[in-house]
Amino acid sequence: MRLVVELFASLVIALAVGLGSAWYMVDGPRIGVGVGAWTAMPSIAADSADPYSRARVARSGEIAMGAGEGLVFIAEQDDEGRSLDGGCDYALTGEAPTARLWTLTVSDLAGRLPRAASGRTFLTSREILRDIDGRFEIAVSAGARPGNWLPAPAEGALRLVLRLYDTPLALSPGADMVMPHIERRGCR
Amino acid sequence: MIRTLAWAIGALLLAGIVHIVTVIGLPRFAVADPWQEIAAHGVEESFVRLPRAGPGETPLPGLDPALTHSVCRFSLDRGPVRLRADAAEVYWSLSLYDRRGLWVWGVDNRAAEQKPIDILVATDVQVAQLRETLPDELDDVVIVDWPGREGFAIYKILVPTRSQEAEVEAVLATARCAVAPIR
Repeated sequence: MRLVVELFASLVIALAVGLGSAWYMVDGPRIGVGVGAWTAMPSIAADSADPYSRARVARSGEIAMGAGEGLVFIAEQDDEGRSLDGGCDYALTGEAPTARLWTLTVSDLAGRLPRAASGRTFLTSREILRDIDGRFEIAVSAGARPGNWLPAPAEGALRLVLRLYDTPLALSPGADMVMPHIERRGCR
Repeated sequence: MIRTLAWAIGALLLAGIVHIVTVIGLPRFAVADPWQEIAAHGVEESFVRLPRAGPGETPLPGLDPALTHSVCRFSLDRGPVRLRADAAEVYWSLSLYDRRGLWVWGVDNRAAEQKPIDILVATDVQVAQLRETLPDELDDVVIVDWPGREGFAIYKILVPTRSQEAEVEAVLATARCAVAPIR
């Protein structure tokens, strides 16, 4: 009797731990090179993608950017490690890595874009205003801001996505990369 | 005590096996991978313009709202597939993905130097056949040796400003995707 109980308990634990950990690893991009508050999405090239990325793509149906196309960085926390929240205003400051084009979007954690009165859901490197040194400041907030402004959802957790198209950057841990800082400027 | 420990170690080993089998097996049994998601948008071997990603509407997960996308799902069973399109003057990229939604090959406007896109996707066997009797019309075509028999192509173009949207959409509409049987 004791044997049956032990066997049953072990099987249940094995299934729960095995499936649970697999689900966690596949549910979102969990492995990636971190640069400051940003994490680069792992490569999904057919010949080099890791098993977790393969499974994640298959499960989400996501059309990820190709290895030769560019790099995608996501951030769900500010520079101080606090989760990004729609109730707060943020500023992205500094510089973006070298790329022929980059675009910035903000969404909820499911990837849904905010419904802004202006209809704007993205900013691109072509249109933002920079100072003489090439540095910029982008306001990410639900309320309208002068200058570079990316409308954000008014509530809930946020995810910033920076897509670099045609960048000479290669991903490697400890690589020297300049990513914009994410500063929290105040909460409502 | 030792007996409990032994069971715990056994359970963890089994958990590891379950973990690995699940992750490796998932792509095989996925019902919502990119290949199937794209099927909802149109027929095979034809470029279908996707709606722009916007608030409350994301035609396929992961698309950039700053770009406009056209997608073609293809199968090489009836012969190589030829992809053609005019090159946009702004940033564009054409990417080929395999049956599992993984990136295989791509070209962008810098690599293409503003030449129109003309690509032939073929399997190993088809490439060998083509090498034997390369028709003149395929002289300038880029031939992509395709792993497997199925895949999809995405042609995407940056929409720099709203006033240029119509112009960019017109270029996107020139994208063609068709079976080109070997004669």
